[in-house]
Amino acid sequence: MTAANGALSRIGGLRTGWGSGRARFALVLGAVVLLIAAFRILTDSGVFPEAWNIGLADPIDRARRWLINNQTSHWLFVFFLNPVTDTLDWGIRRLESLLEWFPWYSYPLFTGLGLWWTRGRVAGLLGLAGVTLIGVVGLWEESFATLSLMGVSVLISMVIGIPLGIAAWRSEAVARITRPTLDAMQTMPGFVYLIPFVLLFGFGRVPAMISTVIFALAPVVRLTEVGLRTVPQSTVEASEMFGATERQTLRLVRLPQARPAILAGMNQTTMLAMSMVVIAAFIGAGGLGQVVLQAMQSINVGKASEAGIAIVIMAIILDRFSTGIATADPGEDARAIRWLAMVTAVGAVVGGFLGFNDFPDALGWRFAPYVNSMADWARDNLYDIGGSGIGTGPFSDFVTLEFVTPLRELLSAGIPWPAMIGIGVVLGLWARGLRLAVGIGAALAAIGLLGMWELSMDTLGQTLLGVAATLAIGLPVGILSSHNDILRSALKPVLDFFQTIPSFVLLVPVITLFHVGRIPGIIASVVYALPAAVHYTDLGLRRVPAETHEAAESFGATRAQRLRQVEMPLAAPELMVAVNQVIMLILAMVVIAGLVGGGGLGLEAVRGLRRSDAVGRGFEAGIAIVLLAAILDRLTRAVADRLRPPAAV
Amino acid sequence: MDAARDTSNEASRVRVEGVWKVFGKRPEEARRMAEAGAGREEIRTAVGSVVAVRDVTFQVSPGETFVVMGLSGSGKSTLVRCVSHLIEPTEGTVEVCGTDLTQADSATLRDLRRRKMAMVFQHFGLFPHRTVVDNVAYGLEVQGMDRGERQERARELLDTVGLEGWGDHHPQQLSGGMQQRVGLARALAVDPEVLFFDEPFSALDPLIRRDMQDELIELQMRLRRTLVFITHDFVEALKLADRIAIMNDGAFVQVGTPVEILTNPADDYVRAFTQDAPVVKVLQACSVMRPIGGTEVDPGWVKVSATTPLEAALPHLLGSTEPVLVCDEQGAPMGLLHGDEVAGVISPDRR
Repeated sequence: MTAANGALSRIGGLRTGWGSGRARFALVLGAVVLLIAAFRILTDSGVFPEAWNIGLADPIDRARRWLINNQTSHWLFVFFLNPVTDTLDWGIRRLESLLEWFPWYSYPLFTGLGLWWTRGRVAGLLGLAGVTLIGVVGLWEESFATLSLMGVSVLISMVIGIPLGIAAWRSEAVARITRPTLDAMQTMPGFVYLIPFVLLFGFGRVPAMISTVIFALAPVVRLTEVGLRTVPQSTVEASEMFGATERQTLRLVRLPQARPAILAGMNQTTMLAMSMVVIAAFIGAGGLGQVVLQAMQSINVGKASEAGIAIVIMAIILDRFSTGIATADPGEDARAIRWLAMVTAVGAVVGGFLGFNDFPDALGWRFAPYVNSMADWARDNLYDIGGSGIGTGPFSDFVTLEFVTPLRELLSAGIPWPAMIGIGVVLGLWARGLRLAVGIGAALAAIGLLGMWELSMDTLGQTLLGVAATLAIGLPVGILSSHNDILRSALKPVLDFFQTIPSFVLLVPVITLFHVGRIPGIIASVVYALPAAVHYTDLGLRRVPAETHEAAESFGATRAQRLRQVEMPLAAPELMVAVNQVIMLILAMVVIAGLVGGGGLGLEAVRGLRRSDAVGRGFEAGIAIVLLAAILDRLTRAVADRLRPPAAV
Repeated sequence: MDAARDTSNEASRVRVEGVWKVFGKRPEEARRMAEAGAGREEIRTAVGSVVAVRDVTFQVSPGETFVVMGLSGSGKSTLVRCVSHLIEPTEGTVEVCGTDLTQADSATLRDLRRRKMAMVFQHFGLFPHRTVVDNVAYGLEVQGMDRGERQERARELLDTVGLEGWGDHHPQQLSGGMQQRVGLARALAVDPEVLFFDEPFSALDPLIRRDMQDELIELQMRLRRTLVFITHDFVEALKLADRIAIMNDGAFVQVGTPVEILTNPADDYVRAFTQDAPVVKVLQACSVMRPIGGTEVDPGWVKVSATTPLEAALPHLLGSTEPVLVCDEQGAPMGLLHGDEVAGVISPDRR
């Protein structure tokens, strides 16, 4: 903490040395224009020279081939990787067969009772109906596959994460390693975690599980640490004064008080694991994600919707249940729930021995055909409504021709690559200082040297468009919601709902309407990031103290004046955090959208995952995604810090 | 409360000698500067560290209430933490019940805390995840007492502090005053010889604060524990203390009985406090009286109880030249109030 403060004050010093306000802005603008002009004259092509490609792909491909050839003979596999794989796979399979042993009816009943206990009667009924619906559409086994992969991943995340969080709380040395690592881990789109583990373990559930654990680990570690750190010192002193040993204080005072935070961490970890397990279908993790993936590839929107809805149901149930544990208060229903749970448990064991495992076919009903015909109808009728030039098709074409393509060309070739690096460096200098500037410059150069310049600029262009669209919608809605409690409470369930949905599933309805290509990817990313934009804008504006409002009002400021001159500047750092979140979400989604013809780095990475001869390229694309994410994240965070008013001394 | 002072020839319960606490780097240098007479700011700019407690020495006798009074930043909270050894003093010795805490290993310290001392905190320091009764039983649980026994003892103590029937609530469901009663019960549960109070009533409303003070006085009369009480409230100090230490800038400015401090303030800093103090309301008969000694009691003398405020005794003194007899709860004579002596205490000129 003190180190960070020191760093901040150093930056502060540098900042003042850099001049201020408009002068600096003019300087930045001038430098950028100059750079572009200079390189336009000096170079004929703006694209990063292909000859400079350092060719990382070849050694990676060679390594991959070596790994495949030695899988049965080399000690690394025989004594280490294969046993690990086998053990983990065994664990997942055991859990899966245990889940399958119980009769089908025990699941909706237990879910219903669990949600009744944690969230009340209505939630219980909805849970019961939701789980039943998964069976009705015939996705019982796929759900078990997803659930067991998730279960083992979450369990391992807890087993690693909670002790790690305790260690980070106890030792500043550990925290100094874990904190930046976790920060970096959370910045990266989940998708890129798959690449190195496929390289090492091949396809299947084990690499899926390992990347899920890594992707989902951060919140539980972080919140365990935060929870322990925020235990009031007075209670710890009190415990010490009674002669409690350190272990007693931890067990009796600290951990119980950190429990809500740790539970919140477990909830977030579970939700991240859910979204990752779905994405892991790309590397053969099976389960519901696989159904969505295959259905989307064969443009079977109906089937994809069924699996998508099953995923959403599962995600919402897990979310509501795990957020409800901390505050569960069944009140007078407690006795009834306990009694029913006992009956259900007995029924489950009896049914398990009798063998009512499979969801009865008689209850089956598929809505895929209806969705498909709706999709067909939409395709025929909404694509170009009555030949009027209005519809999803012309809209896609318009956006593609007017925005996506020109922006891509501008970024990848129109602005010569050295100028692009120059812009990055100048932005870094402006936002924070020399270190960030050098970092950005180096990262951009590395992207070029990997041979990923054009693809990265394509992805960057899509990301920027997505961000622009999200902010154009999200900021006004957020502003309105911060001034209007009715709107806010109306929006809340909608936002909650969208934030619970695993990113991948959002592609399904968008593809129904917009086919494949870059546009559906961008639209899905906007839908994905919009809740965060609204939420953080609202939050930022609501943090403006009421006295400040009143002060502005007492000077006779109009509402618009108040918003422009008081609220927005005061909320600026929070708004910048919103921008940061939006950018990271959009980038993650744009990458996944590579699957549906979004192109760019995502497509290259997906190809690398699916074709063994393209692994090297996929790996390069993965690194480029990480670098791009890091640049955007650090830059926006630096700007947010700049906007913060000077801290009180 | 002269009875307490009579026992001062016994071994003291708390003995603090030459205690320093320096926060930050180069404590030795900061100490040397302080010894040479440098002020807090001067040292902070020169060395970068803060001298929170400088060379404090005092002893507390068994059954005595020793109050440390100082404004915020005077180092009083740091001092009580040094004495209870929640923080390590930079220099000096702290003895509690005959054990030198600065030399004790952690097992000895733990053992001492489990059996001999307890603390009541400014913001109560109650455990929000435990019920009131489990809060009170915490010290006993740490000692390893089994559940039934400790709960029974905890409920007894809740009755003592007037919280019968609240055991199964959580502390945050109680009012501030009630929460501090829980804190008090929790401290008393381990039957400690020494109790530390770190501004226990400063977070409470004035009326409730007064009730709590009265109750503490009453409790102390019954239990006769050794109390080290920290406060920023001069009136509270006058009311509770057998002896008061006035603290400023980390050091003790004056140590004395309330009457000594009121009648003979050491310097202008102390005098400033005494000037506005509602002396006649605060001082009780027992703190102004002259001990009865061997004086023959005249049955015609007006009797007042030890805890009568001076204010209530004044009318009896004004109308006559006879002294007023101060008696304890059982009606046994404790001391005498003489008109001229009382006038000396309350007249502003003398202060």
